[in-house]
Amino acid sequence: MDTVTRRKFLQLTAGAVAVGAAAPLLSVDEIAAAAINRPLAAGTPIVVMVTLYGGNDGLNTVIPFADPLYYSLRPEISYKAENMLPLDAELALNPAMKGLKSLWDQKKVAIIRGVGYPNPDRSHFSSMAKWQTASPEKHINTGWLGRWIDTQAEDSMLAISLGSVLPPLFAGAKRSGSVLPLGGLVIPKGSVAANCMQLAKVSRADNSLMAAAATSMRNLFSVSTTVQPILKAPAPTPVDLPVTNGGNAGGDSNLAQQLDVVAKLIAAGSPTKVWSVSLGGFDTHANEANAQAALLGSVSDSISRFISQMKGTSRGADVTLVVYSEFGRRVVGNGSQGTDHGTSGPMFIVGDKVNGGFYGDQPSLKNLVSGDLAVTTDFRDVYATILESLLQSPVEPILGKWSGRTKFLKA
Amino acid sequence: MNLKRLEIARLSHRFAFGPRPGEFASALDAGVSATRQKVLTVPAVDAGAALVTNPLITDLGSRPKPNTAEIIPFVTGLRNQTEQLTLWWLDRMALSDHGLTEKMTWFWHGHWATSITKVDHPLAMYKQNQTFRQYALGNFSQMSRAMVNDAALQYWLDGQTSTAKSPNENLGRELMELFVLGVNRYTEDDVKALARVLTGYQLTLSAATVLVNPKRRDTSAVTLLGQTAAYTAESASDYLVAKPDCAKFIAERLWYRFISSTEDMPANLGAVNAFASRELAPAVTSLAQDGAMANPRYSMVKSPVEWFISACRALELTPSKLNDSKQLINHLNKLGQIPFYPPNVGGWPAGEAWLSSASAQYRIAFATWLIKQSALRGLNEIPVDRRVLASADWLGVAEWSPRTQAALRNSLGNPEEFVLLALCSPEYVVSA
Repeated sequence: MDTVTRRKFLQLTAGAVAVGAAAPLLSVDEIAAAAINRPLAAGTPIVVMVTLYGGNDGLNTVIPFADPLYYSLRPEISYKAENMLPLDAELALNPAMKGLKSLWDQKKVAIIRGVGYPNPDRSHFSSMAKWQTASPEKHINTGWLGRWIDTQAEDSMLAISLGSVLPPLFAGAKRSGSVLPLGGLVIPKGSVAANCMQLAKVSRADNSLMAAAATSMRNLFSVSTTVQPILKAPAPTPVDLPVTNGGNAGGDSNLAQQLDVVAKLIAAGSPTKVWSVSLGGFDTHANEANAQAALLGSVSDSISRFISQMKGTSRGADVTLVVYSEFGRRVVGNGSQGTDHGTSGPMFIVGDKVNGGFYGDQPSLKNLVSGDLAVTTDFRDVYATILESLLQSPVEPILGKWSGRTKFLKA
Repeated sequence: MNLKRLEIARLSHRFAFGPRPGEFASALDAGVSATRQKVLTVPAVDAGAALVTNPLITDLGSRPKPNTAEIIPFVTGLRNQTEQLTLWWLDRMALSDHGLTEKMTWFWHGHWATSITKVDHPLAMYKQNQTFRQYALGNFSQMSRAMVNDAALQYWLDGQTSTAKSPNENLGRELMELFVLGVNRYTEDDVKALARVLTGYQLTLSAATVLVNPKRRDTSAVTLLGQTAAYTAESASDYLVAKPDCAKFIAERLWYRFISSTEDMPANLGAVNAFASRELAPAVTSLAQDGAMANPRYSMVKSPVEWFISACRALELTPSKLNDSKQLINHLNKLGQIPFYPPNVGGWPAGEAWLSSASAQYRIAFATWLIKQSALRGLNEIPVDRRVLASADWLGVAEWSPRTQAALRNSLGNPEEFVLLALCSPEYVVSA
């Protein structure tokens, strides 16, 4: 495996971490040996969920550039065709998504068009809840991956969300995913630690929330012990991207930082099958063009950097990223150089296991459903494929009887 | 479970910000009914709150262009005033004798959730906070009118960009969904109609003033929830607030923040009828008297600010005097909750969202930092041989589990560690 040279190490961490004069030479083998004593079996698929909060404007992400209606319906906020990154004769990517375009050219990106659910809800909270619980008809308290966690053996490392607050996506009825902040988890030392472990025991007197509080303390100890040494090590090198001063392109964004932590832990063999990272700010009611381009640029750069980092490890072929947002936006601009809440939007699935190309029908700009894009693919089709083909789990306990599938993976 | 202790602990932690040393024991002596009465009665003078000086928040003018000489004092002014404003409110929560007014102000901040990250100007946030205070337990119809005309809320939801020619739906939608009626109690056509009614606002954000420009306003009649009229923003607000769904929705929100964020509100909850006149005091009183208050199934996780303020009260700490304010804000930020910075227009999450492995860590660090700055009078006054059980009275905890008692017993020789374990225990992090 690659030895990360001191020079590369300094370049990788410049600007992010203060590097001491005696920075050690570390190889990827050493990182892997750091702490994981029960690594994920080689070849086990790994899913990374990327949530874009706020409602990403899908029509300015995957752009129907050949359709004159695109320009006439949203004159203030349409892109010029010559700046876009064409994917075929009809659709192009937002100009800011060069990294993702390059992965598309390598056939590693599936774009699922018009994804949503019946009777679209234009509320951020309701709609995100529907996406994360996979229950569009009725409000429930568990996330679809939380229900999957319930079906697996208890393991605090099984599903990890980056951040400090647990997303509903990972909330199960019996157990939930763990939460890992960017800086990692630090546990107290000495007698406090022993007594905190005492507090972490579940008591028969506990109600369910108190039991959850005790579990969170327990998970703090188990996850911290496992991940802390790994987080101190540098992230895997992006093998086929130029290293620039201050980190690779996109390396400073919060999403890139989250994916950096994920990359370190995957490379070290973390027994984690599902990860969750996120980026907010997509609620572009006003002055959309610059704001959305910056965000999409960050998504695209962070993902291409992550895929490149994975390539240099033994897990490169195992990782699949899934990108979604709670809804797309209204086709017609709102006069504030922005767009109001809409309905369906594209999902991106990225990785070596993906059979690159388009899936689902592109919603028509001519036949709008009360001013909005039609939903042409149900998100449960996508989830069912993830559960069945990547997580190798039966669909029914998690989504109920659901027959739809989207075949975006290589056979 | 001793139901008297449970109910008094809930009155103390949910309808206020937790007891100061000695208050829980006095409340137990007084009984549930007298304690409830005390919690619900707004005193003419609040000596504790009077100790907190109002912040000096001024109009800083509009933002100067980047890279000019004026931008630095402007940004410094924003930063200083925002910090002052935040500390002022935390001090009010920690020092007030009457917690309910502060608790309701906090509730309304999470309800009409507006973030200074977009609004930028502390004066607009301060004025909004004063509106929350004014109507904290007052008339909801008047509050809704005031909020429709609130500069910070208008800016937050793009009201100033919404004109007759191109209405912006943001404010109209959230007014129905998150502020007055609740989701799915209106149609998409209603959203579009209300957006037209709410057109024409223009604001001077730095001064937090709004006006309606007749040239930008759509004055035509629209159909809103089945009734066609030429509404004004105020008449539309009145009309929505008068709908039966409003009583149901406000009762649901009170239930969610005061009784349970995990269990649904019973449809026949007394607070719904008690809100018939759209007066908030009777609705909150009804909730405090409800049988649910003594039902052990309705536990609640304390939000980070609630946990922090209750710790300040037990430890007799004043937030603005903590050393130092930047570290305080940093601790709150790590736990995911700083006043004036809700994550989005839906307000902060509730329940298990606050119980992650990450928050367990941050809570330990935060508590350690606080304990070092306290004389721990409340604990030291308890004889060592009684500390394990009696510390529950000091902190207003209904009952320690055997698990937590064992941890506390282990640390009897180390008061700081004892308090750390108590504050981070499941029984203190969760209101039973």
